[in-house]
Amino acid sequence: MYLFNTEVIYKQKLSQDIYRLRLRATKDFCRAAAPGKFVMLGTDDSFFDPLLRRPFGICRWGENWFEVIIKVVGKGSCQLSGLEKGASVAVHGPLGNGYPKDELESEQKSLFLVAGGMGIASIASHLFSALDCNQSLTGTFLLYGAASYSELILLDELTAASALGLKMQTITDDGSCGCQGLVTQLLTNELQKHPQSQVFACGPEPMLRSVQKILQKAECDGFLSLENRMACGFGVCLGCVQTVLSKNSETGVEMAKVCTQGPVFPAQQVVF
Amino acid sequence: MVDLKVQIAPGVVLKNPVLTASGTFGYGREYAPYFDISKLGAIISKGLSLQPKTGNPGVRITETACGMLNAIGLENIGVERFLADELPILQELRATVIVNIFGNNQDEYAALAAKLDGVAGIAALEINISCPNVKAGGIQFGTDPRAAAKLVAAVRKKTSSPLITKLSPNVSDIVAVAKAVEEAGSDSLSLINTLLGMAVDLDRKRPVLGNVTGGLSGPAIKPIALCMVYQVARAVSIPVIGIGGIVSVRDALEFLLAGATAIEVGTASFINPRTAGEIVTGIENYLDDKGYNRVTDFIGSLAI
Repeated sequence: MYLFNTEVIYKQKLSQDIYRLRLRATKDFCRAAAPGKFVMLGTDDSFFDPLLRRPFGICRWGENWFEVIIKVVGKGSCQLSGLEKGASVAVHGPLGNGYPKDELESEQKSLFLVAGGMGIASIASHLFSALDCNQSLTGTFLLYGAASYSELILLDELTAASALGLKMQTITDDGSCGCQGLVTQLLTNELQKHPQSQVFACGPEPMLRSVQKILQKAECDGFLSLENRMACGFGVCLGCVQTVLSKNSETGVEMAKVCTQGPVFPAQQVVF
Repeated sequence: MVDLKVQIAPGVVLKNPVLTASGTFGYGREYAPYFDISKLGAIISKGLSLQPKTGNPGVRITETACGMLNAIGLENIGVERFLADELPILQELRATVIVNIFGNNQDEYAALAAKLDGVAGIAALEINISCPNVKAGGIQFGTDPRAAAKLVAAVRKKTSSPLITKLSPNVSDIVAVAKAVEEAGSDSLSLINTLLGMAVDLDRKRPVLGNVTGGLSGPAIKPIALCMVYQVARAVSIPVIGIGGIVSVRDALEFLLAGATAIEVGTASFINPRTAGEIVTGIENYLDDKGYNRVTDFIGSLAI
């Protein structure tokens, strides 16, 4: 992983309170980036308020840049999303394990990517990675849910992935785009049609709990990307731990560090 | 070249006065990818207990204005695994190691001290009598001068290792606790541990932390820490190690000026893992610029 100061090279408003920042990065950083990995971002001129850096999934990257998607929810995201082109940003990353790669390359199974709300920033990293390498997405399905149409982001770019074979369905809580309901309903339906599928999911915890149950019932493998609060991002603060099943522990469970042992975990390992 | 060496306890001379606060530096090796940790005066391990400890459930950290609250609950791998798996790595990395210890009761502290007595590669023990996030042990010994002294005396009997006692700011008179543990045989003092604090989630009408309360750290607590270090350093004759909200070279120098023989960098290492190393270089450059030959000439030179 790398620690460096860099600058914003592009900023785009994606919705009322969601922004995309493109940051300059070294080639080494970009080579180390992978779907599901994340960075800790901060600004140098915050005078320690906010104090901590914030974790964001690496959504897309090129030879010497990467992008994050920031939704304004508090002080840290407000400050970062307010940065304009040329502004300085402190970066620590790429961090975390990312999604398992060999699972993605297995062609026997269908792959369902399930995103709830801002979970799309992590999930989309797969699709962009495939798009940018011109890999086939045949057999890959994106199920994407958000509160309303205005919160569904990156739709144009995701649609572009359909040229590589991606099939996409959207759903909204209020029915303003696609069906009305939760993304987990789409998953239940699709797994009936495509048993033996592989599933990667990222979204709010209630959604991930629900995905875990659906997978268990359908006897499908899957991975969940968690978004626990963290102070450091590299395994020392022990603030982000998640209870997971563990064969090595006498109690059968252990406290796993989401930042270094995750953020992606086998779905049935997570104890919510 | 400025001589940065400081003596923090009898026989314990560190190459410089910059240490890392327990609980913010893992077991040390986690920082090796970021800088050469042998450059530090010493690293202080995560608090260790006789048995491994899983820590507190629920939300463990939350940010507050210029600070953060934590309620980790002393999660650690236990002393056996530390000695088997972590200490050899630290020795290979040539780090000077101080081990932070705690127990559920006095016997456990004493047993742990006995176990670590004479272990090669451990420069000193830091006794944690000040963790606010566990029910047994920790702070129950740190808030009463008599209980603190009794515990330190019990540990003292079991080990010839130099002892640093880490004090809690959650007391009405920290000087009284400091004097009591000095009397009981502590070789030096480190202060302050975190301040007891709380955050409330208004929308959910619940405490933010799973443990309800937590320990406040970061720049928010620096003025309190500086004041306590100043008061204690004047009142005792053993070295004082300053801790609390140090994020920059200037912060570190302020503590040295106020009477701290050394300092510990804590929360700042979460934000920039290289902070402690950068402070070593920064102190040397500052003293060099100001014409000092030895850091010891600068320590405690606050003009009142």
